[in-house]
Amino acid sequence: MLTAIALLPLAGFLLNGLFATRLFPNPRGTRFVTLVGCGLPILAFLLTLDAFAELRAGGYVPLSETLYTWISIGGAPFAIEFWFDRLTAVMVLIVTGVGSLIHVYSVGYMKGDESYARYFAYLNLFLFFMLLLVLGRSLLVLFVGWEGVGLASYLLIGFWFADPEKAAAGKKAFIVNRIGDAGFLLGMFVLYTALGTLDMDRINAAFMASPGPAISATLVGILLFIGATGKSAQIPLYVWLPDAMAGPTPVSALIHAATMVTAGVYMVARMSGIYVHAEGASQLVAWVGVLTAFFAATIAIAQNDIKKVLAYSTVSQLGFMFLAAGVGAYGVAVFHLYTHAFFKACLFLGAGSVIHAMSGEQDIRKMGALAKRIPVTFWTFAIATAAIAGLPPLAGFFSKDEILWYAYASERGGSFWLVAIAALTALMTAFYMFRLLWLTFLGESRLDAHAAAHVHESPFSMTGVLVALAILSAIGGFLSIPHVLEPMLPLPGILASRSGAHLPIVVLSVALGLAGLLGAWWMFGGKAERAKAFGEKVAGVRRVLEGKYFVDELYDLVIGRPLLWISENVFLKIGDRALIDGTLNGLAALAQRTAAAMGRLQTGHLHFYALLALAGLLGALAWGWRHV
Amino acid sequence: MTWLLANLETILLAIFGVSALVGGVLVVMLRQPMRVAMALISTMIFLGGIYGLLGVHFIAAFQVLIYVGAVMVFMVYVIMLLDPRDPATRRRFSGLVIPGVAVAAVVAGLLIRGVAADAGTGAAAAGAARGFSLAEFASAFLNKYWLHFELTSVLLLAAVVAAIAVIRANREDHG
Amino acid sequence: MDKTHALLYLALALFALGLCGVIIRRNLLVMLMSMELMLNGVNLSLVAFADRMGSAEGAVLVFLIFVVAAAEIAIAIPIVLLLAKSRRTLDADAFADLRG
Repeated sequence: MLTAIALLPLAGFLLNGLFATRLFPNPRGTRFVTLVGCGLPILAFLLTLDAFAELRAGGYVPLSETLYTWISIGGAPFAIEFWFDRLTAVMVLIVTGVGSLIHVYSVGYMKGDESYARYFAYLNLFLFFMLLLVLGRSLLVLFVGWEGVGLASYLLIGFWFADPEKAAAGKKAFIVNRIGDAGFLLGMFVLYTALGTLDMDRINAAFMASPGPAISATLVGILLFIGATGKSAQIPLYVWLPDAMAGPTPVSALIHAATMVTAGVYMVARMSGIYVHAEGASQLVAWVGVLTAFFAATIAIAQNDIKKVLAYSTVSQLGFMFLAAGVGAYGVAVFHLYTHAFFKACLFLGAGSVIHAMSGEQDIRKMGALAKRIPVTFWTFAIATAAIAGLPPLAGFFSKDEILWYAYASERGGSFWLVAIAALTALMTAFYMFRLLWLTFLGESRLDAHAAAHVHESPFSMTGVLVALAILSAIGGFLSIPHVLEPMLPLPGILASRSGAHLPIVVLSVALGLAGLLGAWWMFGGKAERAKAFGEKVAGVRRVLEGKYFVDELYDLVIGRPLLWISENVFLKIGDRALIDGTLNGLAALAQRTAAAMGRLQTGHLHFYALLALAGLLGALAWGWRHV
Repeated sequence: MTWLLANLETILLAIFGVSALVGGVLVVMLRQPMRVAMALISTMIFLGGIYGLLGVHFIAAFQVLIYVGAVMVFMVYVIMLLDPRDPATRRRFSGLVIPGVAVAAVVAGLLIRGVAADAGTGAAAAGAARGFSLAEFASAFLNKYWLHFELTSVLLLAAVVAAIAVIRANREDHG
Repeated sequence: MDKTHALLYLALALFALGLCGVIIRRNLLVMLMSMELMLNGVNLSLVAFADRMGSAEGAVLVFLIFVVAAAEIAIAIPIVLLLAKSRRTLDADAFADLRG
């Protein structure tokens, strides 16, 4: 059954991918694409529910299924084995559930695109690799999925590859991820050398055993976390995610918000056996997380592209998840992952609906007062915004509150500074999200006449999905994931001196959300004059934020240019042209000159040939006399 | 006179040998192909005489029959067919006279050194030439080497076919 | 110097003369005849050895060489004729089409 869950989307990829060009222009073929592309993920979701029921009936004993033994080295088998426990169950339900919804949404969004079948093929391919990632028992299978989702992400970011900027964004995502993957691979090598296995449950068990393995958990933890910073867009490798918004919006929702980018969080939670014993690595995870959350939030405040705001918000929320993982509250990290999947998918799909309505316009300065024109989109977007801002009783409130609480009170590295930065970030989150809401849907209309005439609500296949996700964003928080996961991922203990502070944290959390709401209202309500005035007052800061701290430019200067220089001057000029080409050309020239010289012997004169033959005879005779 | 008769064989052998050698030199030196052919024929006949003196009469007979009678007649026939004013006839030597003579001389020198080394070891004294009879030859030929003999017939057949092919290819070219 | 060695020197001389002729003579027919001369030299050496050893094998080989010589000339003569026909000359230097 687990195998079927993973392989169904692969079948969809093969069907749609192989016949993509045949199917598109034909209406019946398009229907086939839709049926396969959406039907198989939904089927996978239903199978997952069934598997979950079986898991529960079996008293949460992990299910496992070996598909195929790839290779056996020195008695250690590398098997493609699927593993289904509580954590996997949560992840697979999110992936197939949200994934299916987004597939359905895509039917309306991508309607009429000339590469409709290719789009669904890629989306199914992504789903397959994502399921491989979360279902694999071995780090090796996880890694295959990890690389595979990177591939699918690359293909989908560059989906409209005719536009060089979008193709470049795809390449950027791929290349930046490679840097993280190097760390991840090194981590795997270290683990395999020390333990002789890559099965994650065995690795955790080995670290939990009383004489732990003879390697530094901190080293492994940091190496694996480097991989996670690439995939989950943390400092310093977050730069690819905002550019990844070049892909179709449902792709941004599925891959770059709800599922793929959370792979790093999942991996850290899955390898919690290591991080529990790696205090230094956990501290690093927490601080990288909280700083990423903070910086991304500051950038998000000054962005004007609706998808860019959401992208930086995603980076920021991922930072929150890592903060939770860093202080030992892995269940809470997964909880936030879960709620975030709903409200961020809802936000992105809402943004997609807005873009759809605006005929491709993404600049929020040219929007405004759309609420009445596209009410379903507005209300769902508003609910998701409130959820991400952390207003009770929506989903985001529960998970964010837990994060703040553990950041403050966990006995595994909870500290005042962590919670202070996190709280400030939460305030900013609420502020920039409501700013987005106001500028897009409320206030006064800044649409030009042409765009205004075309504004229309999206078809039911899109709005229906929005409503479903809005409902999930609203009520999702009542399912307490940390409790579901607790037998597997125990929550950290609470510092005795801070145990009384839970209520103030809750109050603070709600207050922050409301403060953000009111702040945005005050600034951007009406004609947003206060915002303009304030923006002019701090023009310098605004420029830095709009320029995203010029991190891309910095990377280009520090890494890109020197690399190019070395490639150009060392590898190309010396290595390639002089050494390799030189050797080959030299050999060819040598052969040519030798041939020319030997060719001169071929005079065509019979006498000369006879003389040569005779000289040969002479040589043979002389040699014979000497040696025989 | 008696000395002459006693050494007749040796004397004849010497005369034939010197004559054959002179013929060989003439082959290389004469200008007209017809004269060259005549010199070659005389060389072959003298060699046939040497074979006869050595007692291998059948080889002598074949030498005259096949070489002189067939090969050289063919040659002469061709020479008569060809244009006597061919410039190749007028210019005797190629441009490689000096290296050619030099290298040939070195080869000859090497070979002679080899033979002389053999002659000097005294192996020559081990026994006079023994000779062999026609019967011996015949039994060796037809018992031991019959396969080779048969193979030569295949070779001849191939030669005939090749000759016809060469002629026909030429005809197709021109016609 | 006994009979065998004298004959061998003669054979060598004929062979070397033939070689020399092949290289230095300009006329193709004469070159062919020089080759015949070389063959005769070889034959003579074979007969001399056969006589010396008292075995018939050398004579058998001579016999086979006759046949090969006949076959060779049967091919060579038509070729020479064709060459003479195509270029109106038998100058070996006129046939240098294979110059590299």
